[in-house]
Amino acid sequence: MVTIDLAELSVRDGNELIRKHGAAGEDVEVTNPDARHHIGVGLISPITVKIRGSAGYFCAGLTDQAHFKVDNNVGWGLGDNMYAGSVVVSGNAGAIAGVAIRGAELIVRGNVGSRAGQVMKAGTLCCAGNANFMAGYMMYGGRIIILGDSGERLGEDMTGGEIFVGGSIQDLGADAEVTDIAADEIESVREFLDRYKISFKGSFQKVVNAGKKLRYDTSEQQRRSIPFFSFSGDSSYWNPKIQEDIHIKSHIGRYRIRGYGGARSLPHLADLAFKRDLSGAGHDDDVVSQVEMHTEIGGKNGANPLKLSMPVMIAPMSYGALSRSTKEAIGIASSLSRIAENTGEGGMSDAQRDAADQLIFQCLGGRLGWNIHDMLRADGLEIYISQGAKPGLGGQLMAKKVTPELAAIRGIPAGIDLRSPSRHPDILGADDLVIKIEEFREATGYRLPVSVKLGAGRVRDDIKIAAKDGFDFIELDGMQGSTGAGSAEVIDYVGIPTLAAIIEAEEALAEIGRRQDVEIVLMGGMRDGADAVKGLCLGADAIAFGTSVLIAGGCIACMQCHVGQCVTGIATQDPEHEKRYQASVEAQNIHRFLESVRWQIAAITQGLGYADVRDLSREDLVAVTPEAAAITGLPYAPEYRENRVPQAVKVN
Amino acid sequence: MTVYDLQRIQLPILPTEFRDRDDSSDTHFVPAPCQVACPVGTDAPSYIGYIWEGKLEKAFEAITATNPFSSICGRVCDAPCEPACRRSDSDGPVQIRNLKRHVMDELGASYRLPQLSVTQTETVGIIGGGPAGLTAANDLCAAGYTVHVYEMTDRLGGMMVWGIPAFRLPPGIIQQDIDRLTNRCEGLHIHLNSALGEQVTLDELKSRHNAVLMTIGAWRGKPMGIPGEDHPRVVDGVGFLRRVNGGERPELPETVVVIGGGDVAMDACRVAKRLPGCKHVKVIYRRGPDEIPARRTELEGAIEEGIEFIYHTQQVAIESNVDSLVLRCVRTELGDADEDGRRRPVAVTDSEHDVECGMVIASVGQQTECNELSQHNMMAGDRINTTFEGMCTSDPKVFAAGDGAFGGSTIVMAMHHGQRAAYYVKAFLEGRENPLPYRTPYRTRRVPVAQDIMWEKHPVHHPEFFGLGEKPVDFPEIEATYNRETALAEAARCYRCDAETGSADYAVRHREDLFSMARTGPTDLPKLQTMLQRRLPVRDNPYPPGRPPNLDDIVFLPANLSRLVIDPYREACKVSTDLAGRIELAQPFLVTGFDQAPVEVRDGVGKGLAQSNCGYVGTIPLNDSSPWFQLLTSRETEPSADAAALLQTVGEKFQTPQLERQHDHQILGLAVSSSQLLEESLQYSLEQGLDMMLLDGTGQVGEAWPELHTAPDFGILRDAVAILRRLRREEEIALVYFGGIRSGTDAAKVIGLGTVAVALGVCVGLAVGGQVRDGNLLFSSDSNAEERAAAVVNILKANASEASMMARCTGKTNLHNLEPEDLRSVTISTASATGIPLVGTRN
Repeated sequence: MVTIDLAELSVRDGNELIRKHGAAGEDVEVTNPDARHHIGVGLISPITVKIRGSAGYFCAGLTDQAHFKVDNNVGWGLGDNMYAGSVVVSGNAGAIAGVAIRGAELIVRGNVGSRAGQVMKAGTLCCAGNANFMAGYMMYGGRIIILGDSGERLGEDMTGGEIFVGGSIQDLGADAEVTDIAADEIESVREFLDRYKISFKGSFQKVVNAGKKLRYDTSEQQRRSIPFFSFSGDSSYWNPKIQEDIHIKSHIGRYRIRGYGGARSLPHLADLAFKRDLSGAGHDDDVVSQVEMHTEIGGKNGANPLKLSMPVMIAPMSYGALSRSTKEAIGIASSLSRIAENTGEGGMSDAQRDAADQLIFQCLGGRLGWNIHDMLRADGLEIYISQGAKPGLGGQLMAKKVTPELAAIRGIPAGIDLRSPSRHPDILGADDLVIKIEEFREATGYRLPVSVKLGAGRVRDDIKIAAKDGFDFIELDGMQGSTGAGSAEVIDYVGIPTLAAIIEAEEALAEIGRRQDVEIVLMGGMRDGADAVKGLCLGADAIAFGTSVLIAGGCIACMQCHVGQCVTGIATQDPEHEKRYQASVEAQNIHRFLESVRWQIAAITQGLGYADVRDLSREDLVAVTPEAAAITGLPYAPEYRENRVPQAVKVN
Repeated sequence: MTVYDLQRIQLPILPTEFRDRDDSSDTHFVPAPCQVACPVGTDAPSYIGYIWEGKLEKAFEAITATNPFSSICGRVCDAPCEPACRRSDSDGPVQIRNLKRHVMDELGASYRLPQLSVTQTETVGIIGGGPAGLTAANDLCAAGYTVHVYEMTDRLGGMMVWGIPAFRLPPGIIQQDIDRLTNRCEGLHIHLNSALGEQVTLDELKSRHNAVLMTIGAWRGKPMGIPGEDHPRVVDGVGFLRRVNGGERPELPETVVVIGGGDVAMDACRVAKRLPGCKHVKVIYRRGPDEIPARRTELEGAIEEGIEFIYHTQQVAIESNVDSLVLRCVRTELGDADEDGRRRPVAVTDSEHDVECGMVIASVGQQTECNELSQHNMMAGDRINTTFEGMCTSDPKVFAAGDGAFGGSTIVMAMHHGQRAAYYVKAFLEGRENPLPYRTPYRTRRVPVAQDIMWEKHPVHHPEFFGLGEKPVDFPEIEATYNRETALAEAARCYRCDAETGSADYAVRHREDLFSMARTGPTDLPKLQTMLQRRLPVRDNPYPPGRPPNLDDIVFLPANLSRLVIDPYREACKVSTDLAGRIELAQPFLVTGFDQAPVEVRDGVGKGLAQSNCGYVGTIPLNDSSPWFQLLTSRETEPSADAAALLQTVGEKFQTPQLERQHDHQILGLAVSSSQLLEESLQYSLEQGLDMMLLDGTGQVGEAWPELHTAPDFGILRDAVAILRRLRREEEIALVYFGGIRSGTDAAKVIGLGTVAVALGVCVGLAVGGQVRDGNLLFSSDSNAEERAAAVVNILKANASEASMMARCTGKTNLHNLEPEDLRSVTISTASATGIPLVGTRN
């Protein structure tokens, strides 16, 4: 037993020591914890840690196999995301004790705060005292044992798992019900209590999911999309799309769902033109080697940056929305082009990790697939706050895509219409984010850049908060971004266009003098090197491509991703459909697409008179629509529209 | 060109005369891979779309527009479209040829195309009545010329008649196409049994006609160049097929060997298998099964019929025994690629072996022979000396096309040659030197995509295969035509690569560009450069001047970091709506516009409104169980005590209304339709303590469907809110807006702008089955009152769910807490009409 005195060490140094002793198999005693946050975070060794006093937030969070004993109280987020192992708390625990645990045993001898066991997947959370409101909120699996009384809305929107209550239940949450208990279940609970020497003589009530909200009751008739010009821009007011919407809604009685990005024309980077005549651009035989494009992202605060061979990365897209083979192809292509790939929601598979040289691991409110081991093998971490396609909403994965394998990675029951929570259990405000970032950094030894993904809305305000919270970089996603499934109206009408987003971001960061402290990766509707360079000119440090990469790999833009039986094998989990996708062939196509983008970035940059993409600036651009001019403040120069290439030109 | 060549994305200049047959300048169209792969540019996506729509006549027109031999092609085209089909990479190509066959079987014999009359004085002589010659004749007749076709045999069709056995192509099918062509071409004159150099000479033709086109075909089998091949039981494939297609059914030996792997070899082996005496047919091919050029279905058909394929084997000599032949062969393996990119077969040492048989059919290629042309010194080896660029021979008046000019090929390629040749002949006749290079025109008929929910799942449908049939020697057809059901399912499989997508950012042009970028190597400089020039131009302004303000141009600002996100899937959002403390509506909607609707429709809507506790705004009530907001359109109208609300319309000039409450809960208000009247109307309403004001953005509330006639005026809403704000009395009167609300999203926007509820008109009309016709809604009788009631309940519920989804995304748990600050405009016109700032700007 080694003693670590936190009166003398910072938590960061303390945690490093704990991990070191853990690796050596030595138990640890932590003295003078003084309710500091993140004690023990990131420990993955089967040792015992005794905390002599009270611990703050996220005690024992992001750990596996370790056993913690806390002499006094703990703050919120006890055992956050803990795999195997245990925590025994002698006093009380704050809110969201046992949040997102995936197998651990947590025992709180006193009371627990609100939302105990939120989004937990497996394991047991036992509270010997009383539990505050909404225990078991959105839990997907595992077991909560409350020996005292439970507060209001017990089991609110739980999807799976069981809650055993020894005292009284104030009231049940949405879609929760009391059910019968089998004898072996009682026996198992008793065995658990005996093991931790908790005596309880009373009887239990068992609460489970009532199953009324797991699936949409009427299914929406699938319609192949009608041409966008019939409902966008200059189209008629009561256009065919409006009529189709009304007909379908008059049958299903709720909003429509679809995949893909915004359908209508919005102000776009395509409404900007380059000032210089680029008709001779790219005639240098080796333009790619003439232009410096290497870009490091995320190293501002000392983390190991992502090293990109050009200011481009892959936008976050989940295994789940996309098939395994599609993620594999994208990963391979990202490695071949030496850029970074992103897991999106729903966890990291070995195949993804193997395919991508640099991989960002995304963390969402449902903590689906989130875990310490994959964090440790990631190259960057990302906290999803929202996405451009449907900001304010969580991910949506229709039952057809929630296969047993996928459900296992995510730690949820198979075959439900998965509507991921849009809010993180432990991020209710900007200050919480600071602590969350710190937890991630603690868990990974401050090695990895931690980024935030923001769907563009009140960018001017949001980005200031993100900068002040200390993120290493910000992924700013305009409303032209796509999704595997979402409310069709939200996709089209919530958020602001990518063009406006980068303008607001730049202005806001300049206002508070923080532009140099943070990097911005711009995404949402980016299609080629021209879009990318325009984004860089407006200030972005890098550009992320999502939908374009899918198209390069065979997506036909039919916008039926939500149906789950993608004809090309991309947006599906149906094995019969997935096998249509030839990962090795499409990886080469995607790679060639990325290389075309590289060539275009180089050719345009050189054509504008620079040898380094960092020299690009808004001075290189003009606006060709009144909207784009008003949004960007660039000169309105419609005469640049004249530079159009005729529809049919002779090809050499 | 391959379908991913830049030339598909950026097509060469189109000759002016093809403008009416080409849509490639349409920004919403890129010719689909199948269309580009088709040598005659068949608009396959459109005809497939028409098949699914059940419009077979339109499909027929699309098919035959560029293909005079559509019935024939429906059966035996080698269908280069199918390997190009993008669905090939997925679960197999759309069966484009079989779909064509389905249409042609239905209409090929009966459907009449418009006549092509003579409008020009010049005449053209065409030698050879095969696919190239007749296609050229067809195009020249379409251009108004008189055409004389000289055919050496006793019938038209060339290789289509003499080269393809009846079990694949029954004679009646050929006749359909020939008849259709000869019937519609009024200037077409046919001279049968007229061989060049025998019945007619080149000099005669040149003096008779203004131009001459040689489409004489390649009728002789190429020799194999091995010892012993002049043995009488060694025959060439085309000659063999010609005999059989002429009606002979020769007795064959028990074992027949066919040499070669092309289409002629396939036909020859399958014919042999059907002839009397023959038991075994072996095909010897020098490369492997992956390299064999025969079309996949022919190959599979042959295998299915019991024909043996011996791969990697090359003949070296033929010796004869007493009653049999011995074919000496060596085994081969694939060596380096030769000029055409195919790997050359290389003999394996010491692999010599013999194959015994009674007959050898050599199908190793065809060649042209023509003494007449040789004498004119117009041959180059075994072909007519011809340039592909202008289809010119050494004689400026003489053109050539087809197999005779370019070697043995396919029917569809011969037709392409015919079309090219017709183009250059026409330019010659018009005296145009150096015409623009020929380019296949690409039309689209802009057919909607098939709405078959199984389109992603339908597998490839193979037609029923009969094989040899009961009496092989009669050559019964080998496979069936799709029935209607199968044709529909197969047609539904089409991706419709031609059709515009539903996404502006990933429009068809962008998608195809991205596809091409993904198929451009990093060293392919010309393609990279051209693609860059293609991607640089800016798009057309999607918001051209004059476009009216539109609710579509308003977006919501989501909650994120600066405002707490709520959980829109779970947390409740209040949508119930309190009108002036007198009525509580479950949803923020009223409905209007059905005063003059058919009584059945009114009944259904009334039921639905009653079930939804939703009010109806009109001069007459729908029923007595839904709240009626009585519209008093004149001072003479009697206010009703049954009405939940009395709404006096303010005409073109403000006159003091006389509104008296008939009962305690009755709501009183004005309906105002012009910004000019707002000041007085609002002042009056506030003075009198009126409960609500209906802001009519159409100027005609109460009439039938004014929303279909005018763009909604959102200015009235902006101005009303501004006045109330100035007076600091926003909370004192409930504003309800009418005009152009199509969805819950629209409603949420208008609520955010300052109303408490919206009135829906056309939206509900459409929900109960109304069809927009000439500025009106027409109702059919195909639903009953209950169904209409359910539709009303559903559309109101759906709109409420949309509206609350929007509110929740902004972080609100009450729809009525939406405010202008939650909104932004994306266009300047909408920003100024609504007062909502443009995105990205500060004010």
